[in-house]
Amino acid sequence: MDLNVTYRTDSRNVPAVRKASLKIPKGRIIALVGESGSGKSTLLMAIARLLPPGTEMEGSIKVDQRELSRMGEKELSEYRWKKIALILQGSMNCLTPVLRIGQQIEEVLEFHLELKGASLRKRSGELLLESGLDPSYAMRFPHEISGGQKQRAAIAMALACDPPFLLADEPTTALDVITQSEIISMLEGTVRSRNMGMLLVTHDIALASSVGDELVVMKEGRIVEKGEPRDIISSPSHPHTSELIGALQKVEGGMPDE
Amino acid sequence: MNDPSMAIRIKDLGITFSSRRTGYVDALRGVSLELEKGATIALVGESGSGKTTLLRAILGLVRPNMGKIILLGKDMEAPSPQELVSLRRKCGYIPQDPYGCLPPTLNVLQAVTEPFFIVNGRKELHQGKEKAKILLKEVGLNDRTLWNSRVRTSLSGGQRQRVSIARALVLDPMILMADEPTSMQDASTRGEIIGILKRHVHRGMALVFVTHDLFLARASAERIMVLYKGLPCEEGPSGRIIDDPLHPYTRSLLAASPRLGKKISSGITGKTTDPPVPEGCPFQPLCPIATEECRKAPYLRQVKGRKVACWKIRE
Repeated sequence: MDLNVTYRTDSRNVPAVRKASLKIPKGRIIALVGESGSGKSTLLMAIARLLPPGTEMEGSIKVDQRELSRMGEKELSEYRWKKIALILQGSMNCLTPVLRIGQQIEEVLEFHLELKGASLRKRSGELLLESGLDPSYAMRFPHEISGGQKQRAAIAMALACDPPFLLADEPTTALDVITQSEIISMLEGTVRSRNMGMLLVTHDIALASSVGDELVVMKEGRIVEKGEPRDIISSPSHPHTSELIGALQKVEGGMPDE
Repeated sequence: MNDPSMAIRIKDLGITFSSRRTGYVDALRGVSLELEKGATIALVGESGSGKTTLLRAILGLVRPNMGKIILLGKDMEAPSPQELVSLRRKCGYIPQDPYGCLPPTLNVLQAVTEPFFIVNGRKELHQGKEKAKILLKEVGLNDRTLWNSRVRTSLSGGQRQRVSIARALVLDPMILMADEPTSMQDASTRGEIIGILKRHVHRGMALVFVTHDLFLARASAERIMVLYKGLPCEEGPSGRIIDDPLHPYTRSLLAASPRLGKKISSGITGKTTDPPVPEGCPFQPLCPIATEECRKAPYLRQVKGRKVACWKIRE
């Protein structure tokens, strides 16, 4: 509620998020859009409590009635796996290159849920399948699979502890449209079937409007518009939203020659 | 063969890579393409379709196993080193990865001036700098303190990409190979960059634009070639391909593209492993209309004002 985040640099303080309020109910997909520097990723990172040290944060973030800003590191580490799942654009590059995909998922299950033996194998196979990978991929190393498949493996890890919330920051931006559509539908299906709440951060207003139950537009750290995607697209109330839509339509409709 | 109006002429190009796990992989199979000076074409397809390999082959960075490439009238089969240098000076290249392609020790202005300096020498340095400044302003990097800061330490991905675009244009190339040049840009900047490229096309530059986004392809080029697993499956005027796609692969690409307020289709779902590339049409394992006939390799045929490589599509 009314969240402010300010980055400190050597020379000045840069406000990145100003008075932002947002609710992520379970079973709903909130799509947050804005251009580079609008503060959308900062807002997501604040919810994950992953802002760089020295960043000032005011306001409150509550997850299941618990205030996040008062949690200690130990509690936070628990919270980050069991309460929220985090998927970033670069998640696919965060896999350990020297471990097989299956080992990496099993590591999470073993550490956080204390699963062992056959139930461990079984659960990691289920997670792979849920993320759209054949369980045989457990034996592969990250360098043996494509970017889209690595992103799926990272999603399987994020979902391992059955968290009620999913934070996704440009999860498909580095992927081609076919892979993107497959991963987005997979995430959509997972969020619905597990009744999770999801925050999807993207610069692509077309993607946001097609996936989100609610569309939130940010500019210069402020939330300038939120509501039903259909209403916003047909009659945007903030000029910045119109700009975003206009810029997209210019490319979508084929640009006239100058 | 030596038509002076022709920028690029490619005939039956084939490139094979060998990999330890899968053996030989055909990155490109039987690709033919002709591009006149001042003309534009977009290469479209998913990751691994061969778009980047085609671009690199045209520049002589990958050696083909089969076929012929004629670049500005010169056969690329075995160019002399001098010929290669003079050809490459006429070809601008915007590589896909702006993190790997800019000299880390230079500042922004130096990075854009460098190609000009290498070609024209110290005497013209002033002129090169002025040109670089104009280009930097065009791509939206107006901040003079940014010009003097190092590429490596102070630029975002999107900014690097714009430096890379300015750098590719500083020699006024005859041909520009642009590999996903706007992938890290906001929608508004994307439109501006396409506008800049189009101005260069108007002065006679040929443009090869690589993207996986069909709509961006239409906005940037008058013709589109759709590639799948190294094989051209549909080629023709951009408008025609987007308004009425014929090849089943082009259709699934279009259905997967996010549009304002419309649900995106789940594309080709249900696959949890990479299907092996079969004999004949490579798209048959995922194709909704494939039959026995598709085990024979299709070739590009003229259908409804464009070329399609699919047995099931008829006039």
